[in-house]
Amino acid sequence: MKHLTEEELINRYYGEDAPEAGRHIDACSECASALASLTADLADLRSPEPSARDASYGEQVWSRVAPMLSAYERKRHAPWRGLWLTLVGATACAAMVAGAFYAGRLWEHRQQHPSLAHTASPAREHVVVVLLSDHLDRSERLLIELKHANPDDSQIVAPLRDEARSLLQSNRKCRQEAEKAGDPALTNALDHLNEVLTQLADEPGGLDAAAITKLQDQMRADGLLFEVRVLRSRIPHREALATPHLKGGTA
Amino acid sequence: MGKSEHAAIQAVLAGDKEAYGALVKQNSRSVFRVAARITGNEADAEEVVQEAFLRGYRKLEAFESRSNFSTWIYRIAVRCALDKMNSRRANETMRIGSDDVDIDTVQLTDRAPDPERILLSGEIAKVRESAMHALTPMERAAFTLRHLEECSLEEIGEALDIDTNAAKQAVYRAVHKLRQRLAPLKVNT
Repeated sequence: MKHLTEEELINRYYGEDAPEAGRHIDACSECASALASLTADLADLRSPEPSARDASYGEQVWSRVAPMLSAYERKRHAPWRGLWLTLVGATACAAMVAGAFYAGRLWEHRQQHPSLAHTASPAREHVVVVLLSDHLDRSERLLIELKHANPDDSQIVAPLRDEARSLLQSNRKCRQEAEKAGDPALTNALDHLNEVLTQLADEPGGLDAAAITKLQDQMRADGLLFEVRVLRSRIPHREALATPHLKGGTA
Repeated sequence: MGKSEHAAIQAVLAGDKEAYGALVKQNSRSVFRVAARITGNEADAEEVVQEAFLRGYRKLEAFESRSNFSTWIYRIAVRCALDKMNSRRANETMRIGSDDVDIDTVQLTDRAPDPERILLSGEIAKVRESAMHALTPMERAAFTLRHLEECSLEEIGEALDIDTNAAKQAVYRAVHKLRQRLAPLKVNT
């Protein structure tokens, strides 16, 4: 049988024991004896009451304490003062927030104003210019390769076809932008380029010598390469606009 | 908190110092009682009473009206008494050795044929007091609040600014030490 510890006996004495401790004491004479000993010890430790103070004691204490106290003079209007300070603080905070908001709006307005005056979407135009410039460069190289390609050289077929397929996607985007911008010359040139690229990319039966020769002839007749070069000649003044983007983006 | 207590506190905070007098008069005796029990010395208890009411006055703005002023000032008094004990203990390191001599003296007296007489003698009271002195201020305060003031462990924890388990352990240690100090007397009984 596990006997109760002194701590458990103390809990028992102060009435904070677990129910099983009480049952154990009822069944265990040794622990019952230990509890009796503890009870006797604690009874001995009840020191006599300090000498009681009479009814006038409070007066005596107050007479000693009062001279050492200074009145809460400044707290006389504490509630109103607190409310006033709270209101002032809240107003000041609100003013600071409003000021910061207004300053932010003003700064934002000043930052945005020149751009808005310049164009509705300059950034977008820069992107289009860069896209078009890149597209025309690649198209020009492709057309030059096609122009000088040996129709009998089967090795050139795959590179031409792959590059044409890639250019078809960018050509569609550029045409959409040219149409939005209301630039018929560019739209027509891109339409023309689209026909050549489509044939290069998806020539039924694949690109053979006859198909390449046919495309070369068509390109010369249409002056497509010349047309692309003319379009590229229009780019320089747009490159100036696109420069920041080239530097920070794809360059 | 009663209306009169609340009104008195509001009046004090509004600048009416005399209103604090009512609170002092109302609680002085209970504050003295706990101070005397913890310090075991009426002179020290008087100082504790004074210090408790001064502290209470200075902290009155922080008093939360949800509790009773009497409970609040009681806790302040307990802490003042604890502070008093700590400062006194710092000056009494040599006193504990002389207390041991007291126990020896009582043991000699304990050889008298009637142990009941010894238990009731004034010398036993001296031993009891020396045993209480042997406790740390925290143990003594916790034991006093538990055993004499019949506070719950939660109340002791709040009064001494410790958690309930720490209060319980302080009481355990105090009882254990006190019984050890009193054991020599019990041997011959």
